[in-house]
Amino acid sequence: MSDTVIVTRGLVKEYGRTRALDGLDLEVRSGEVFGFIGPNGAGKSTTIRVLLDLLRPTAGEARVFGVTPAAGGPALRARIGYLPGELALGGRVSAGEHLHHLASLRGGRGRDAIDTLAERFRLDLARPVRALSKGNKQKVGVIQAFMHEPDLLVLDEPTSGLDPLLQHEFMALVREASARGATVFMSSHVLREVETVADRVAVIRDGTTVDVDSVTGLRRRAGQRVSLRFAEPPDADTAAAIEGVEQVRLDDHTLTCLLHGEPDELLKWAARGRVLSWSARDRDLEDLFLDVYRNRGRNGAEAEHDAR
Amino acid sequence: MRAEGAASFARVWADHRRGLPGWGAALAGITLMYLAFWPMMGADMQAMLDGLPEALIRALGYDRIGTAAGYLEAVIYGLLGPVLLLVYGIGLGGRVIAGQEEDGTLELDLAAPVGRARLYWQRLAAVWTLITALVAITTLAVLVSGPLFGLGVPTVNVLAASLAMWLLVGGFTTIALAVGAATGRRGIGVAAAAGLATLAYVFRSVADAVGVDVLATLSPFAWMLASEPLVNGFDAFGAAKLGLLSVVAAPLGAWRFARRDLMV
Repeated sequence: MSDTVIVTRGLVKEYGRTRALDGLDLEVRSGEVFGFIGPNGAGKSTTIRVLLDLLRPTAGEARVFGVTPAAGGPALRARIGYLPGELALGGRVSAGEHLHHLASLRGGRGRDAIDTLAERFRLDLARPVRALSKGNKQKVGVIQAFMHEPDLLVLDEPTSGLDPLLQHEFMALVREASARGATVFMSSHVLREVETVADRVAVIRDGTTVDVDSVTGLRRRAGQRVSLRFAEPPDADTAAAIEGVEQVRLDDHTLTCLLHGEPDELLKWAARGRVLSWSARDRDLEDLFLDVYRNRGRNGAEAEHDAR
Repeated sequence: MRAEGAASFARVWADHRRGLPGWGAALAGITLMYLAFWPMMGADMQAMLDGLPEALIRALGYDRIGTAAGYLEAVIYGLLGPVLLLVYGIGLGGRVIAGQEEDGTLELDLAAPVGRARLYWQRLAAVWTLITALVAITTLAVLVSGPLFGLGVPTVNVLAASLAMWLLVGGFTTIALAVGAATGRRGIGVAAAAGLATLAYVFRSVADAVGVDVLATLSPFAWMLASEPLVNGFDAFGAAKLGLLSVVAAPLGAWRFARRDLMV
């Protein structure tokens, strides 16, 4: 149990008739940076709110550091830094006063780090929180999540609202936290945001996990987009029969396809004709991510039954 | 585990202390202004009352308006004081948990290492201290302007009436906070408290006008004023019933708040 920080098993959360989580399984290991990817409405924020004991599961269970969030209570939350997906700041206090308030809710932990972090993110602590721009509010959110150096960071869409420079600074903060041994669980609806820092990624859709893999594994699976132009129109059907070749499309003399694995078979097939030009480029992980969303209806449904 | 002290309590004050001077000035100003009219009452007032129907006079509590205690009750303790304080208290009670949960500004507090019960009781306590400050200001205004305009109501009786008003306002404020915290909806908390307070006021007025004792028995406004604290002083039974509003509502709200889903 000691090397897993977050575990969920068959986690179900219903609001009235709508089912936000539909048997979600997750395992986040100690010390890793874990990306939690899914489209809007997939259940990312619901999962995160269960981990923080804002929501209680309808069925299944979630454990953080080996205890359920409800049983862990304040002592468990003391070990967590949380950045909400839609951070709302209000009240008649300055950004500095707000951060000091949040530190005092933690018994003063993190208070000493406020000034340093504010300087690093160029946040004016004297400004009233309600008057802050979205980006500046997000800075307050980031600072309060990291200031007490928690063992676990739960970050819901952390980079939204931050400009590229600050996104870079934020990623540096995540790497530092990871380097001192903290576990980072961060959600996003775009893979690109997490692929540079994440060790592993889970893709969720409609409240279930549809894919879990390392970022390198995902890249390998993403494959290449191959384009071949022939002197004579080739036989597309025989190309489609080749192992690892998908999405074959023939447009006059040009054949395009998606290739996974070694290109050997495809090249031998192409060499039967006269190849005028060719190209092969690595696919964007974003494309794969979209594949996973789309294919879930086909493959995911079975996996889901097995999981239960 | 390290205790986080009174951070939740302090935060409510930090957010709302700026409203205090304005409300305090309004309550003190209105009290002063109405009590300044007292010396000018007399013949004119009696002439006006003679033209009004008997039942209406009793419903408005004007039947004893010719006496200093009756006048003070009719304008301040029976009407403007509680009404203004209830507007303030119910609004605040609905705001500090349910309202802030709804607009999301409480999320980081709820995700902090603070138990829900602790957050609830501290916020409730802070709201009570804010109300206490305003009741104290109103009371002070009465005590200062009474001798100034020759009202001559004994200080103990003013304090007794203020205590009852404090318990009444605190009770409905607690209901707003508790129902809001139980449901997560500010509107429900405010509507419940404001609805009950209005009903309580109407019940007492009707009871006074047509003498239906059942309605008076059910009305917290009657619990506060039926014993005429400005004439007879402290009424322990009435105070106990008023206190019961909070004593019943507060734990029920806390119980439900600790068990339900938040931020949905």
